[in-house]
Amino acid sequence: MSFLALDKWARLFRIIKQNGGIFKTTYKLWRFDTLKEGTFVGSDMFGNKYYENNFYFFGRNRWVEYHPRFAWEYDATHVTADWYGWLHNKTDNRPCEDCAKYYMNCNEYVNNWLMPFSENLTGTEKAYYPWSTVNHHICVWDGCAMCNRQPKK
Amino acid sequence: MSLAKIFSVSSRVRASGASSLVVRHAQYSTPAQEGKTEKVYPPTAPGFKYVNAEDPNMTMKALTDRAAQTLFWTELARGFAVTLAHIFKEPATINYPFEKGPLSPRFRGEHALRRYPSGEERCIACKLCEAICPAQAITIEAEERKDGSRRTTRYDIDMTKCIYCGFCQEACPVDAIVEGPNFEFSTETHEELLYNKEKLLSNGDKWESEIASNIRADHLYR
Amino acid sequence: MLRQPLTRALTLSSPVRAAPLAARTYAGPPPPPEKFEVFIDDKPVMVVPGTTILQAAAQVGVEIPRFCYHERLAVAGNCRMCLVEVEKSPKPAAACAMPIMKGMRVKTNSDLTRKAREGVMEFLLVNHPLDCPICDQGGECDLQDQSMAFGSDRSRFTDIHFSGKRAVEDKDVGPLIKTIMTRCIHCTRCIRFASEVAGVDDFGTTGRGTDMQVGTYVEKMFLSELSGNIIDLCPVGALTSKPYSFAARPWETRRIDSVDVLDPLGSNIVVATRTNEVLRILPRTNEEINEEWLSDKSRFACDGLKRQRLVTPMMKDSAGNLAPVDWEDAMVAAARAIKDCPPNKLLAVAGDLADAESLVALKDLVNRLGSENTCTEQYFPLDGAGIDFRSSYLFNTKIANIEEADYILLIGANTRFEAPLLNARIRKAFVHKETDIAFIGPKVDLTYDYTHVGDSASVVKDLATGSSTHEVLKRLESARHPVVILGADQLKTPEGAAILAYTQELALRLQDKLEDKNWKVLNVLQRTASQAAALDIGYQPGVGKALQDGPQVVYLLGADSGVVSRDQLPKDAVVIYQGHHGDVGAGMADIVLPGAAYTEKRATYVNAEGRAQQTLVAVSPPGRAREDWKIIRALSEVVGERLPYDSLDEVRDRLAEVSPALVAYGDVQDNNYFAQARALSQSLQKPVSGKVDVQLKQLEDYFMTDTISRASPTMAKCVQAVLKQKQSQY
Repeated sequence: MSFLALDKWARLFRIIKQNGGIFKTTYKLWRFDTLKEGTFVGSDMFGNKYYENNFYFFGRNRWVEYHPRFAWEYDATHVTADWYGWLHNKTDNRPCEDCAKYYMNCNEYVNNWLMPFSENLTGTEKAYYPWSTVNHHICVWDGCAMCNRQPKK
Repeated sequence: MSLAKIFSVSSRVRASGASSLVVRHAQYSTPAQEGKTEKVYPPTAPGFKYVNAEDPNMTMKALTDRAAQTLFWTELARGFAVTLAHIFKEPATINYPFEKGPLSPRFRGEHALRRYPSGEERCIACKLCEAICPAQAITIEAEERKDGSRRTTRYDIDMTKCIYCGFCQEACPVDAIVEGPNFEFSTETHEELLYNKEKLLSNGDKWESEIASNIRADHLYR
Repeated sequence: MLRQPLTRALTLSSPVRAAPLAARTYAGPPPPPEKFEVFIDDKPVMVVPGTTILQAAAQVGVEIPRFCYHERLAVAGNCRMCLVEVEKSPKPAAACAMPIMKGMRVKTNSDLTRKAREGVMEFLLVNHPLDCPICDQGGECDLQDQSMAFGSDRSRFTDIHFSGKRAVEDKDVGPLIKTIMTRCIHCTRCIRFASEVAGVDDFGTTGRGTDMQVGTYVEKMFLSELSGNIIDLCPVGALTSKPYSFAARPWETRRIDSVDVLDPLGSNIVVATRTNEVLRILPRTNEEINEEWLSDKSRFACDGLKRQRLVTPMMKDSAGNLAPVDWEDAMVAAARAIKDCPPNKLLAVAGDLADAESLVALKDLVNRLGSENTCTEQYFPLDGAGIDFRSSYLFNTKIANIEEADYILLIGANTRFEAPLLNARIRKAFVHKETDIAFIGPKVDLTYDYTHVGDSASVVKDLATGSSTHEVLKRLESARHPVVILGADQLKTPEGAAILAYTQELALRLQDKLEDKNWKVLNVLQRTASQAAALDIGYQPGVGKALQDGPQVVYLLGADSGVVSRDQLPKDAVVIYQGHHGDVGAGMADIVLPGAAYTEKRATYVNAEGRAQQTLVAVSPPGRAREDWKIIRALSEVVGERLPYDSLDEVRDRLAEVSPALVAYGDVQDNNYFAQARALSQSLQKPVSGKVDVQLKQLEDYFMTDTISRASPTMAKCVQAVLKQKQSQY
């Protein structure tokens, strides 16, 4: 097999099959610049799919396929915080297997303040721009003769 | 493998290049391979290793070899061969942003202010991070909140001043300020990198699940 | 007479404190006791008998850690941090309370000493919460510093039963002091300060051992005008400043030395600023004036510097409302008004907080325009000697010399509220030197016992003429160092001139008889920080006469006390107000020129003693406000009478021309010419019949007396809290 590089051809056919036919495979190659086979590990809130195949060397063994709706507008920051550690090989646990995440989600109050993950919004209208979170220190006289002598609570 | 080896540029070829730095590198890294003895300077009373470019060998054989290399463009052929060889090799790079490089739980990326599970912000405005920050990137103003607790009114980090040393999270007695795992926060304007308290808190709220698991991963060593 | 608290009387006295008791015999100071040699860490040191180990160690530069000991308070000896090994003594001795004996060898760095310190520190920390990150004392905490320096490097505290540390309920002692009593280490400095210096015996301890609590027994406000000092005294974070709470850390503030202007004493202060904002004001030690204390108004009114500020020039628009305008427009309008005004109709009035530089600039400008009408708001009788002699309007005895006095007569001067630190000095003399005090005026609480001579002005006359049968006269005449203090409030009354004349007469009569020829008896206690400088420069005290002429242009230099009002002026009069706060003056003004407050300019102030001191720039003036003398200088150019100085140094040269005393910073000159003043005012000794009254009678009157403190929310809270406390049954 390997002498004639037949295993490589076999892998190519497996990849095409896994990716749903020749056209879809071509489309994915176009979008992702690479073709890989792997086991589906999970998906995140954006619908991005996470795959793993340890055949590839460490660093390429985990990858994300961005949801088709992002088309060519995919961004590295579409990877949510939940899957971030897994994708970066920080942990082998999927988010549902992570103790810290599990305990955090067990707390009923957490959902009151946890914010949905968002991509890096720079360059868009929703981009963050700094503002001062404090009030002015100097209170200017308003022009009325007697000042307001009530203490400010 | 073998193809690459054959067509790869030998260190000798590189040694004839202009850069004396390369020469030195070649001499030190592979003296045995070259079958050369170390040159010393001054030649009569060795005191130092001789590391500068050497004079070309002017024997007739060496001269004709060099002339043939130039005439027959063998370097060019070798170069194309290297390229051709790499087409069939597995790339050594990763296909970012689909694949991402490995990170440590201790990675120091974008800052975030954390909250207690109840939703109360952790930061108590002790200003230790501000004090320890070697780049003086942190600015804090504090006052008594209505309920009498000690809180910040301003918590600004100039991310363009920050050197990501992580002293702030080390100094923090309540694990409020952390350097989260995110490094993908580049912006189009400088201004967007002047983070204020709300931005840092929202970072924390977005990244809490990852920050929590990082802290848990590292808890034995802290 | 047992005036000191019982704790004080029972503990060992330091030689400094022991001396006055001996000195009570009127025979002059006792000869200095012989010194003997002792050894601190094998370093020989010569000390007088009665010195404590701690003081002897301080002489050779050996610092012994302490919490409860404070050099201005009685020795308590209850923190045990100062334990040191004394050779041939079986147990370590408390250095603060142990009088040193001849040939004693003290080891402050031996194993025993270190072990004792570590043990004491461990005990202190057992019940001290580990809340340094949220504690305002963090960074300036004695406990933090000393546990780093002298404590053990590891903890044995393991709360295995999770029983928790000692927790104590916080006390509410008013709007200035925040208490976190769990942090208290029972050093009792606050208690000793309250009873010894402040004279308000409100603090004490209840319970014993672990149950011991420092508090006010029943929940009540700490009704003192010196309450802020217990914040500085507290070695831990148990007592912290409420207005400053959580605002900043000591390491991030810039500290600028300055001078307080909210009372006439000119206490030395340190202004702590950050990000161009005054965060707090702390006292700076000056033995001549404020020792290391500071009155509450001076300390806490600094938040008034951020309220009601004038930040831009303003002019009345057509509708009669003040609207912001450019400097240029305001200057041109002001200059036009001044130019159009006949010289004798131009009036300049200087307020309470005006500095000497702007005073001299304004006077020069007005004089160049041909007018002599420069006045201050505070009145001073001009009949007789008037203000011709400096001695007539200054505090001649000097504040520090009050401690030497053995009889003090206060005539209508409620020193407790007019000059709290002077009162603290009088109280110090009262407690430690057994000085007696007599008071003429309404019955007020001066925090010490005094002989109330009555509130009739005729009492002054009787004393002066020697016809009084009151024992006070006899005591005054037999005193070696008598002091007579006349409150400036009395001079405002129609009989002011007479009262002043009688006071001068009395004081001079006493002074003539003294053995100590350098001792000054006569004192006039001014009410404001600007008055002494203004009178030195040649301002006319009081505006009454000038107002009767119907001025057309009135230039108010921070004049906000309301002595000039719209209905006293002709209808078409133009009022130009230059100052830093929107108050009475700005409210009636047609043109407002924003000036700088005392923390925002380098300026000279002369205190009641006649001591020139300067403030330094701590923060920049807000918005488009500018330094005051520069505004007047700029205006002079627009008016066309350019003043001949362009820099601060040149203004000060001009000040030195007027009076060298105005630029002799930190110095105070001895005043003479008492006899001449007395001679000139002899004719004014008319019969008087009125009452001697003081303006500030109660604590609630004290907090809001000038534009800055009137704008301060903290001071307003104080007034409300005091009034509320008055309603309380305790």
